[in-house]
Amino acid sequence: MPTPAASQDERLAAGGRRRTELTMLMFAVGIVAFAFAETGYGLFNTLPAKIFEYLLVYILLVAVAHLAMRRWAPFADPLLLPLGALLNGLGLVMMYRLGQGAGHKIASSTVDIQLLYSAIGIGCLVAVLALIREPRVLQRYTYTLGAVGLVLIATPALLPASISEVSGAKIQIALGGFTVQPEEFAKLALAASFAGYLVVKRDVLALAGRRVLGIDLPRARDLGPILAAWGVSLLLLVFESDIGTSAVFMGLFVAMLYIATSRTSWLLIGFLMFVFGAFLASKLFGHVGERFDIWLHPYTSKNLVDHSFQLVQGMEGMGYGGLLGKGLGAGMPYKTPLVQSDFIFTAFGEEIGLAGVMAILLIYGLIVQRGMRTAISVKDPFSKLLAGGLSFMLALQVFVIVGGVTRLIPLTGITTPFLSQGGSSLVASWIMIGLLARLSDTARRPPPRPIQDEGLTQVVTLK
Amino acid sequence: MNRALKRLSIAVLVMFLLLLINVNYLQGFQTAKLAGLPGNSRTFYSQFQYQRGDIETSDGVTIAKSVLSSAADYAKYAIKYQRTYPSGPEYAPVTGYNTIFGHTPTGETGIEYYEDAVLNGNDSSLTVRNFIDMITGKQRKGASVMVTINSKAQAAAYQALSSKLQGTGHVGAVVALDPSTGKILAMASYPSYDPNQLAVHSGSQLTANDNALLKNPANPLLNKAIGATFAPGSTFKIVTSSAFFDKNAGNNPQTMVSSPNQLVLPQTRNVLVNDGGETCGDGSGTTTLIQAFLQSCNTTFGKLGMSVLGANALNATAGAFGMNSSSLNIPMPVAQSNYVIPPSLATTAYSAIGQFSDTVTAMQEAMFSAAIANQGKLMKPYLIQQVIASDLSTVRATTPTLLNQAVSPSVATNVATMMNAVTQNQGGTAAQFNTAATGVDIAGKTGTAQNGVNNGNTNDAVFTSFAPFGNPKIAVGVIIQGGGYGAVAAAPIAVQVIKAYLGIR
Repeated sequence: MPTPAASQDERLAAGGRRRTELTMLMFAVGIVAFAFAETGYGLFNTLPAKIFEYLLVYILLVAVAHLAMRRWAPFADPLLLPLGALLNGLGLVMMYRLGQGAGHKIASSTVDIQLLYSAIGIGCLVAVLALIREPRVLQRYTYTLGAVGLVLIATPALLPASISEVSGAKIQIALGGFTVQPEEFAKLALAASFAGYLVVKRDVLALAGRRVLGIDLPRARDLGPILAAWGVSLLLLVFESDIGTSAVFMGLFVAMLYIATSRTSWLLIGFLMFVFGAFLASKLFGHVGERFDIWLHPYTSKNLVDHSFQLVQGMEGMGYGGLLGKGLGAGMPYKTPLVQSDFIFTAFGEEIGLAGVMAILLIYGLIVQRGMRTAISVKDPFSKLLAGGLSFMLALQVFVIVGGVTRLIPLTGITTPFLSQGGSSLVASWIMIGLLARLSDTARRPPPRPIQDEGLTQVVTLK
Repeated sequence: MNRALKRLSIAVLVMFLLLLINVNYLQGFQTAKLAGLPGNSRTFYSQFQYQRGDIETSDGVTIAKSVLSSAADYAKYAIKYQRTYPSGPEYAPVTGYNTIFGHTPTGETGIEYYEDAVLNGNDSSLTVRNFIDMITGKQRKGASVMVTINSKAQAAAYQALSSKLQGTGHVGAVVALDPSTGKILAMASYPSYDPNQLAVHSGSQLTANDNALLKNPANPLLNKAIGATFAPGSTFKIVTSSAFFDKNAGNNPQTMVSSPNQLVLPQTRNVLVNDGGETCGDGSGTTTLIQAFLQSCNTTFGKLGMSVLGANALNATAGAFGMNSSSLNIPMPVAQSNYVIPPSLATTAYSAIGQFSDTVTAMQEAMFSAAIANQGKLMKPYLIQQVIASDLSTVRATTPTLLNQAVSPSVATNVATMMNAVTQNQGGTAAQFNTAATGVDIAGKTGTAQNGVNNGNTNDAVFTSFAPFGNPKIAVGVIIQGGGYGAVAAAPIAVQVIKAYLGIR
């Protein structure tokens, strides 16, 4: 009989990569520390005040997350936490930078608040790991999560504008100086809900229907769920003026439908429905058509002074940064209105240059890749759907906002995961990392060891 | 499901590739286009992140420099360097100003505007040096501009102008040239303005200061030395005399000319008289040209212009001295001085004594004397001596060029002799500035120009001169609006500038 100690060692050899994670975290902490120091030198020619206090808190948070991973998700992918921590750290450095020095427009305390949100985010990550020990638990709450998601999305639309409106979009709940953007959490809840729903319905969605022009069309009555998702997406568009989230939401649903059914027709139908909705909205609502106009003609003198000012300022900042950037603290990102939220990516482009933003894009790409890998390797269909959905949503969100501020696609204001100012997005991003870690832990956990070596019938302990 | 996931992963890969390609396009290939967009505030403000080059005089006095902004100012406006003009209004006509809105809230002026590219370091001649600075980690700094101004002459000119004109509401200007090269030794204008007021970093403060200057009826922002014209009065007799000598090689200062007490102007009821109705020479009706010149007899020169020379000869000689041309840039453009061909004999007589429609800048007044002093060779006036990079190497230097052979050397000698008599002969209009009184042998010509509707305004005082007579080093033109007699209001200022430049106490 093997001793329990030996079995522990074998398990670690089989897939525990926590030591790799620790090494990678050290790199993340090192990069953030150097970035922070550079910001101080760029701004004041000296180390930033309280740099050691900030770094200590950051390292503490990272360490707590790492210990939680060791405790509750020992087999999880070793890159998820370091990548998230690196992005979060860079976001903190940029918040510090934007609140300091000549011409700064945001309060110097912004970084403190963002650090607090980081702590809440890490706390949520730990909670996810500790409470959701098996991803399939979430499947039990398919309809509960769906209802919670819808309520979260609808609430700001129903509230008076004084509470819910921020820069033209009704997306937040502001109470007593504390604001929450419920849609950030709604996206996660709805992703889990879709996964649960689609696991049950995927066979009928995939198989029933007829073939027209080489495309498998679903039956009319099976269109219900996609119509519902479309309806929610339009609700976002019309009542909350939130085109970006609407697109991410629709994309998430269609992608998950495609993962569940492998039917291209769903992609096609979803895409056409979104384009139709967006076209309709652009005709009916001025603010949507305006987005298209400034995307196509940002440099006309009329647009320059008015609608496209922010977009062009952001791009001018990126152009000013060039290949290597002006250096943290040495650019003029404060010239771009609201650079700390939607346009944070352009601030990085200006100060760490093309080299820096390519690195940031690759970090996002890596997280998505680790998520997709998890989805492919995990066995159970619910986990597959959830992991694939979450990864695709992250990719889509990055595509929409980064593509928007760099004029690849029309600009729609959504947060840049981990980097933008604001707690809801950051906390939701950490919950997403927690879910992906839990899913990859499940995927990579070695199969239970047989407790008896001989005989045809094996008795196993499920852990 | 895995097949769908793999396809979706490929879609994600394509999305990220698109983003990567797009940022490469934006930050690798579009930077020049983005930097050149109208109103790109980063392009504009980045010039304030580097130290702008100094402007200094030929004798090493710094008249414009950039210093680090105060901590409070930097925190508020994010502009790293503060432009300062240590001598304020004295050098404003030379430096111009550099504001946070550019160089020109109200018009393009000064070295700050015309040499902007070298001062801010963007000029193509500085590209290699900037690159080396970047490699070696040296702080980039714009090139310095050394102007031809002599600080002593400039100080004397501005102080003399301000003490003469303060509180009068009138304007005045002084230009001093080096006759042999064309170097501008002094260029002063009154009233002037303090360019420091326009270098403030607060946009609202700048606008307020600018508006106050714009409302001032004396238009302090205008450089009167090259931007305002006045009637030359009797100083134009230099041109008339030159035309007379030029007409006949036998003509010389001792040539007898008609000098009636009154010159009846044909086809009019007007009679031209000398100043105060005085007689010219001995009163016989004829006198030597030099006598008429040193006394500044209107009748003699009116008659010469009207009967002997004619408008076309006067026009040609005026043009030879640089009038009727708008192409002179020092590099700031110099306003055109005009000789307008008169429509009648009577107006030709007036034009020959610097009235009718004759107009000149103070620069033109200095050019009259500079050409005479330099044996008729009129050198092109210039303000920029050299451009010096931050590593102290010379980027470029100006070589003196001939603008025009205004008159022949012999004509120049004859006119110079007569101009010398104006101060050295007891009867000369500026006899109080003889060598005994001033310590230097000055040659000059006074002018007292009537102006305004029906000549209703106080006369403008004009004086053009060069010194020392035997070996000319400096030519000075002075115009004092409403100053009265040239010898009283303008000549003392010229003498002060000459003495300051030559170091005579």
